[in-house]
Amino acid sequence: MVTGFHTVSPHTPISEAVKLFRQASSEEGRRIFGMMVLDDQGNLVGMLSMFDILLFMRPKHVHLWGRMDDIEIADIIDLSCKKAESIRVGDIMSQEVVTIGPDTHKFVILDIMIEQHIRRLPVVEDGMILGIVYISDLFYDVLDRFTDDSTPA
Amino acid sequence: MSPSLATTLSGKIVASAMRRRINRLGKESTISSAISTLIKHKIGGLIVMDESQNPVGVVSKTNIAGAYYASLPLDSPLEYIMTSPPVFCHLDDPLEEALGRMKDNQIYRLYVKDPDNDAVVGALAYPDIVGLLYELCSRCPKSIFRPANGPKAEQGERSLIGGCMTREIKSVAADYLLEQVLEELALHHIGAILVVDNTGRGVGVISKTDLILAYNHDVPLNTPASEVMSVPIRSCREDDMLEEAIRSMIFSDVHRLFVKDSKTEDIIGVFSLTDAARNRSGSCQACIISRIQITP
Repeated sequence: MVTGFHTVSPHTPISEAVKLFRQASSEEGRRIFGMMVLDDQGNLVGMLSMFDILLFMRPKHVHLWGRMDDIEIADIIDLSCKKAESIRVGDIMSQEVVTIGPDTHKFVILDIMIEQHIRRLPVVEDGMILGIVYISDLFYDVLDRFTDDSTPA
Repeated sequence: MSPSLATTLSGKIVASAMRRRINRLGKESTISSAISTLIKHKIGGLIVMDESQNPVGVVSKTNIAGAYYASLPLDSPLEYIMTSPPVFCHLDDPLEEALGRMKDNQIYRLYVKDPDNDAVVGALAYPDIVGLLYELCSRCPKSIFRPANGPKAEQGERSLIGGCMTREIKSVAADYLLEQVLEELALHHIGAILVVDNTGRGVGVISKTDLILAYNHDVPLNTPASEVMSVPIRSCREDDMLEEAIRSMIFSDVHRLFVKDSKTEDIIGVFSLTDAARNRSGSCQACIISRIQITP
């Protein structure tokens, strides 16, 4: 579990959230792909991932385009960004958040991540957010013996 | 079907236009999570499932706009607002028949079942049908988007917006309150309305998408239309070709264009995806007249 984490408000505009992703990644020294969304009272109300934002940016009829050669990509990106101006974090976040407790077994966490395609899980106890578990941390936690030189192969 | 009714969509079945991704939420899910799902996936409705994963209803932007009007809390469950049961069609139903069923039920989307096992395998909505029309027509040898034909080739045969648009335009004044805007949309069964200033000039558009975002942002119902409307007004001209307008709607993902008089620039009509789908042809009548077979 990581106890230093970044959060975002549901009222934050998407353009601002993109900046926060960059800022969080630089402050934490790792790429941040998802953040917890907390309301004004500090309750966990959702998760925002880069995937949610990219879903919104994806043009609706993109499946037709592979077969078409008359598209101006720059115009399409401009249009999507223009549409994003009125969108806030709360409009596209994933609201049905799966959380774990501080005592959840690491293989239970692994199971949840695999079965539900989740890459990060908030750790919550009595309504208090204690931290977050990232899939990469779990990966190295379980498999570090292969990268540790002192362990015989 | 008699030959006189043949259109670009003749012989096409539901499976060729539907989307295989189905957005489902449980009936206990909140209105707010339905708004997020619709906005993120840019769709007009989602299917609601019961505890045993049976489809029990549909929640559309219209249902959510109704909840806003009734001032329901955003965390109310979808079962309070859903329309049930969902209306279905089958994978191998003719598209023409599916369009007829949408029109009869005054709905914009059908869910698609596999006749073999009754499972829900897709969703069919007007934008998807228009997407298919666009694709078929742009692959046609007569397409204006083919370099060999040039933009103005054979203009005489082509359908123009003036012939397919709806001439009656509904509008609200910029100082109308959102409450009144919601009433107007419900009264006329429309998805968006023009906002005009005190000289009657169009200054913006309010769609159900703008309204459900306002709901999700806790905007009070006594807010004036001008604060929520989208600008600029996306438009085309009366003498534009049908395929240009469809292309513009498909690529910018808007559901309607307001139609301007070519000389006066006044807004004289509206052309929606629904009009486009009901017109049954994306560009011209060539495939009907010459019986060109367009293979997928």
